[in-house]
Amino acid sequence: MARNKFDIDEELEARFDAKQLRRLLGYLKPYRGKVAFTVVLMITTSLLSLLGAYLVKVAIDDMIPAGNIGGMFILALIFIATLVFNTICMKYRIRTMSNIGQSIIYNIREDIFRHIQQLPFAYYDSRPHGKILVRVVNYVNSLSDLLSNGLINLITDLFTLAAIICFLLIMNVKLALVCFTGLPVLVTVTFLLKNAQRKAWQKVSRKLSNMNAYIHESICGIKVTQSFAREDENMEIFLGQNDEYRKAWISAVRIQFLLWPTIDIIAVASACAIFFAGVHWLGTGGITVGVILTFTSSVWRFWEPIANLGNFYNSIVNAVAYLERIFETIDEKPAVADLPGAVQMPQINGAVEFRDVVFCYEKDEVILDHVSFSVKPGETVALVGPTGAGKSTIVNLVSRFYDVQEGSVMVDGRDVRSVTLESLRKQMGIMLQDTFIFSGTIMDNIKYSRLDATDEEAIAAARAVMAHDFIMSLPDGYKTEVNERGSRLSVGQRQLISFARALLADPRILVLDEATSSIDTKTEMALQAGLQRLLKGRTSFIIAHRLSTIKTADKIMYIDNGKIVEQGSHEELMAKKGAYYKLYTAQYQLLEAV
Amino acid sequence: MREFKWVWGLMRKYRGIFFAALGLVFVHGLLSMINAPVQGKIVDEVIINGQIEKLLTLVLIMIGSTVLRAILRYTYLNMFEHVSQNVVYNARRDVFRKVQELDFDFFDRTKTGDIMARMTGDLEAVRHFTAYVMYSIFQHAVTFILVITFLFAINTTFTLILLAITPITGILAVRLTSKVKPAFSAIREQFSRLNSVVQENISGNRVVKAFAQEDYEIYKFSRENAGFKECNIQAAKIWERYLPVMDSVAGLLTVIAILAGGIMVITKNITLGELVTFNSFLWALNNPMRMIGWLVNDTQRFATSAEKVMMLLNREPRIKSKDGAVAEKLEGRVEFRNVCFGYGKEPVLKDISFCAYPGQTVAVVGPTGSGKSTLVSLISRFYDCTHGTVLIDDRDIKDYDVRALRANIAVAMQDIFLFSETIEGNIAYGAPDVSVEKVQWAAEMAGAHDFITEFPEDYDTIIGERGVGLSGGQKQRIALARALVMKAPIIILDDTTSSVDIETEHRIQQNLKNFCKNRTTFIIAHRISSVKHADLILVLENGEIVERGTHSELLSLKGRYYSTFVNQYGDFDK
Repeated sequence: MARNKFDIDEELEARFDAKQLRRLLGYLKPYRGKVAFTVVLMITTSLLSLLGAYLVKVAIDDMIPAGNIGGMFILALIFIATLVFNTICMKYRIRTMSNIGQSIIYNIREDIFRHIQQLPFAYYDSRPHGKILVRVVNYVNSLSDLLSNGLINLITDLFTLAAIICFLLIMNVKLALVCFTGLPVLVTVTFLLKNAQRKAWQKVSRKLSNMNAYIHESICGIKVTQSFAREDENMEIFLGQNDEYRKAWISAVRIQFLLWPTIDIIAVASACAIFFAGVHWLGTGGITVGVILTFTSSVWRFWEPIANLGNFYNSIVNAVAYLERIFETIDEKPAVADLPGAVQMPQINGAVEFRDVVFCYEKDEVILDHVSFSVKPGETVALVGPTGAGKSTIVNLVSRFYDVQEGSVMVDGRDVRSVTLESLRKQMGIMLQDTFIFSGTIMDNIKYSRLDATDEEAIAAARAVMAHDFIMSLPDGYKTEVNERGSRLSVGQRQLISFARALLADPRILVLDEATSSIDTKTEMALQAGLQRLLKGRTSFIIAHRLSTIKTADKIMYIDNGKIVEQGSHEELMAKKGAYYKLYTAQYQLLEAV
Repeated sequence: MREFKWVWGLMRKYRGIFFAALGLVFVHGLLSMINAPVQGKIVDEVIINGQIEKLLTLVLIMIGSTVLRAILRYTYLNMFEHVSQNVVYNARRDVFRKVQELDFDFFDRTKTGDIMARMTGDLEAVRHFTAYVMYSIFQHAVTFILVITFLFAINTTFTLILLAITPITGILAVRLTSKVKPAFSAIREQFSRLNSVVQENISGNRVVKAFAQEDYEIYKFSRENAGFKECNIQAAKIWERYLPVMDSVAGLLTVIAILAGGIMVITKNITLGELVTFNSFLWALNNPMRMIGWLVNDTQRFATSAEKVMMLLNREPRIKSKDGAVAEKLEGRVEFRNVCFGYGKEPVLKDISFCAYPGQTVAVVGPTGSGKSTLVSLISRFYDCTHGTVLIDDRDIKDYDVRALRANIAVAMQDIFLFSETIEGNIAYGAPDVSVEKVQWAAEMAGAHDFITEFPEDYDTIIGERGVGLSGGQKQRIALARALVMKAPIIILDDTTSSVDIETEHRIQQNLKNFCKNRTTFIIAHRISSVKHADLILVLENGEIVERGTHSELLSLKGRYYSTFVNQYGDFDK
């Protein structure tokens, strides 16, 4: 998959169809009882408002001319009673609908978040992170109004519309049909607008995504920007994004706003048509002056719910632009997932075997080319070779961060694809090149690998990797708050923390990928001394450039161009006088040349 | 109040359009009054009195006014959207500009998710306010005032009786205003937290997977997600107490009108016809009173968000250019005079003094956390020293324009951040106008050209955010090329080759030798091989320079540097 960057619009892979709307309704299912009840309440309230109008009519027509003040008070009391009922219903509605709306938002967000946890590295690596963020947070938020009030209004309006249609038909079929002639016109207009409107809102969502990606990256990379004094340049780019979003929005509403005037005009036109038809047919087929009057005053009641439905339709079209992105993410197939019938990995002994493994990230770009090797439990394996040779890829395959194209990766004689990811990875301790620090205390960060560890265990791990002293020198020791960019910790300090984190997991297989590159020699020496003890009983893979770390390994594999060129112990490889020998002596000479 | 001033200020250029649109709203409102009497006329004259010849004219008036109204409405809605989009555009521009100006100290303390929340969710509330709430308030207020004036003209006593219940609505509105604000504030804060937890999860996805902590991440997320739901429900609990009551109070208007009006008719104070007229105008009073609660709500939502945005906008960067700051090409003489620095109370650097001349290389070595990176970050003025002075070309760096100063310093930071951009775009980051040849030259100097050309789209390959997909050594070399392409008089290489194999490192060093000839170079490294040729080596420990000199001088001291040297040599027990 080609990588996406902030200013490249994302292709939409899934087409939106009614199935997905039904899927959205699926979220509403658990609450349908409550929704139905709320709708009943809403219909009752609107009936009561009709009663109110009737009470006013009675007052003006009968009570006042009769001078019946007592009757007036009775009417007023009845009216007030309807208002009290209205208050209660509305209160119930606000409470229920905000509960339901928020619960659905909660559920959708939960689903999308849970799902992205299963997505592999490749998903995260292939697009700016801001574009994922905007889907989980902002897009889901934009559904909230639609789901809470929109839906209730929709159902209420549909009921009202059905009622008024029946009423008109009962009053007079001919005139009713005249009144309905506006509908096909409206449907046609809506249909004509639909595609343009949908495209316009899709554009808005893409531009929003692009802009957010740029904002996100700009914040994360702000230190680079400032150190290169590139603020003006970035401002230009940002204004471009900002402007595209503004333009997309303005043209989207330009289409959307067409709907209301259309409904207005059609409504008035159909009222006028009734006058013409009424006058024309007056006296025939039961069309009396009273009937015409009723019709002309009811015609508004007919078009009002339609206008509301138009509103709802607008927000649906708008929300769909976000919804389809949300469902697209939820439907993204995790490339690496538990296979059916995957079992729990039992306690790992530590035997690792690669059988004729072929792997590539992208087609035609072979990273590992028929690699085979085996490691006995408890062995330390050092991977050496030029950058980009495939060293990190090998260790990534052991944790099954990617699946091989050919061959198999076995741990304790089991194919890693036959066990659950969680049970496999929980027994591995990985120290990645990228040290990521979560916001929280240093203690939280060390315990990340094993949440139930005690403070003592975490401190012991920190001591083992020589991190204890510097942590204690911080103002709040282990309770010092750090944030995701690591705050003021140096890269070396962050490496020590992630090292402690990897160790605390008490892994059966330990992977150290350039774990100590930014750590000073003195600390590293001390670490080295302890490392032998730490590695004991665990299978470990070490990627490093420092020969001191490599030399003591049980097995050294020299990787070049996706192949194992040489493997053996330090002594064996030195005797071989091949690639490793050259690497070693070259380094030696470089140092010697002081 | 400050929030409104702020938005008003952002609207400056668009006030004309805004007022014109309000004018259209007004005209639209007047036109809405035409249809009812025309319809009445049709009923009275055409249908009841049978004057059919009048029908066409009356119908045309109705349709004409409706078409006009539709055009007006369409126009003013678009005008308000235009204004609001521009306001938000400007607000977003200001926030982005501010974010770029703020100092490292701010970013060390602030979560990315919080800033994101300001620029997305909070500005959305500003958009809604300017696109919809502002004119709705106007519309309802105008209707209310017009109708009241009209009613006063008919009958003062009756109108006063009607107005008697408006204070109730007023009091409720005021109370809602103060009650709902904290609820919105809580929502905004929870939104930031939600944003942050998702943002970190995405950025840290490798660590999450490496330790199979997906369940814990879901737990952390669900907590914030549930918190967000809860905050929203709490807010709804506040308006469920006010809005229904306000709605019914508006309905009470009808009761009072008919009851009081009826009695007045019976006691012959007004005529029945007058009461019917009053009654037909009640909806125009009713509606604004009904809406006021919702509008208060929306306004407070806006005010809360605007307040948060303004808090960010009003933050003063601690590091900024002073008036009359100098911006010129530097030669590169860097001097530290008794420099002390600390984050808060914690001293990080103590009494640092040294001088580096163009053409010289200064190496800084020392244990992890001894202050090496902090020391070099003071040169670019990422932080200001607490005591002493940093001088470049004999001038206090505080006298230079900050950006001009930094444009003279090329930094390859140890904490490498690459952008999701093409490799070429990343290398040319500090000098966007540079030619492709220069980019290639820099990549060659940094020992990156070979591996770049092995990528399927070589220099046009897009790198993932933060440089994912590249090995540590590859990232370092791209970052180095990015610094070299600037051709700045001062170069800072902070641990730039630690993940590069020694052979490549050696080649890079050879390349740099010539390049650094007339520049001032700072190198932070752990490998003796990287620093041994430096003109001045500073050994830092606990923020102090404990040893200084050239490689051979320091070896003969047989101190800390010497023992590091021996340690690294220990790798090669012959």
